[in-house]
Amino acid sequence: MITFHPDENLLAEYAAGSLDWGLSISVKAHLAMCPQCRRQLSKLNMVGAALLNESAPASSDMSANTPSDFDSLMQKIRSLPKQESKGVTEGAKLEDNSELPEIVRKLLPKERIKWRRVSPSLREAQLTTGQDKYEVCLHKISRGAKVAEHDHGGREVTVILQGSFSDEDGTYNVGDFMMREPGQKHRPTAAQNQDCLCLSVVEAPVRLTGVLGKLINPFLSFQPG
Amino acid sequence: MNTQMQDASPNSNPSPKHWSDLLEKVGRSQDEDAFAALHTHFSPLIRGFLQAHGGGMALETSEELVQEVMVKVWLKAHSYDSSKAAASTWIFTLTRNARIDFLRKHARQDAQTDPLTTEDIWDEDDGSQPYIYLHQSRTEKQVAHLLKTLPSEQRQCLQKVYMEGKSHTEIASELELPLGTVKSRVRLGLKRLQATIDVN
Ligand SMILES: [Zn+2]
Repeated sequence: MITFHPDENLLAEYAAGSLDWGLSISVKAHLAMCPQCRRQLSKLNMVGAALLNESAPASSDMSANTPSDFDSLMQKIRSLPKQESKGVTEGAKLEDNSELPEIVRKLLPKERIKWRRVSPSLREAQLTTGQDKYEVCLHKISRGAKVAEHDHGGREVTVILQGSFSDEDGTYNVGDFMMREPGQKHRPTAAQNQDCLCLSVVEAPVRLTGVLGKLINPFLSFQPG
Repeated sequence: MNTQMQDASPNSNPSPKHWSDLLEKVGRSQDEDAFAALHTHFSPLIRGFLQAHGGGMALETSEELVQEVMVKVWLKAHSYDSSKAAASTWIFTLTRNARIDFLRKHARQDAQTDPLTTEDIWDEDDGSQPYIYLHQSRTEKQVAHLLKTLPSEQRQCLQKVYMEGKSHTEIASELELPLGTVKSRVRLGLKRLQATIDVN
């Protein structure tokens, strides 16, 4: 059962399309596994629709569509090339990827996944996502293994794809979504009976300068916590 | 077909179901009259949504996007299902996606290496939940009404998130407010709106 979800603010940013690309990937992976958040999302989309419905343009002379608008719209539509049927683009197979969210399968490399050994019990595979603000990778923790205590120095989202792990704060199962702010150290331990596979989205180290830059931003000093 | 659509008075607007029916018609039979009526009604709304409060987009950009959204409406109408979402909700998601696409194309990052499209991450069917749409039309009206009665600071934050596509952090620095304040305003506003949706 899923117990950890993105908070409402994060989901609202996602629904509005104002959430960063990298973080949105992790929200999407969670949504694929979480009917509760999908239901929440549909309500958030209705809020967007309500705002759209009352969005009359500021000046009324721009609001009127002229007949030529529609003509040029239809002209554009007729000039479009025939829609190709979208082939399913799927990457390399994991040993057992049948259950993985579609967004994760789309991110898997075409050939084979290049796992890098971080420690004897932890392997990591970087995924290309066309942006560098967040590092997106798969982590595989061997069954029963403890990962060294770490702190990524940036925002970190973990979505459990297979297996489970626990840390000081609790046990996390398939579908669970966790966001840690910088400075929140943790030391995960994978469950005894199965390797644990996670999607990790971590604020890239280069962004640290940006964060430091924000420290001298006067508004930040108001921030609680 | 679209003679009475110019009426600006909100009370005489056709019901949400009217638009859903037209959209399904476009999907079923590529009905150009139905599409013209949708265009007359929604294009100005999309334009206004994208240009919101001057914090939104440049004029030419939003014109381009309005057309892009309407093209998508035509091309994707066959996948629209009125039992899952109101026409306006569906068109909102297309508008949102068009804006994400646009911003992405103009970002410095190389979108060529990106294995994902906007629609891979923001699928317009993602939040579709048949069972909460039993009273779709009524719900949509009530949400619209409630939105007007929200405290202005909550409303302002929701507008910035949705219409200007700003993150909470960006809003906090723009309004010179603590991030926590922006977060709680968004949450409070959403809570009231959702309470209405849940009753239905
Ligand atoms: Zn959830």
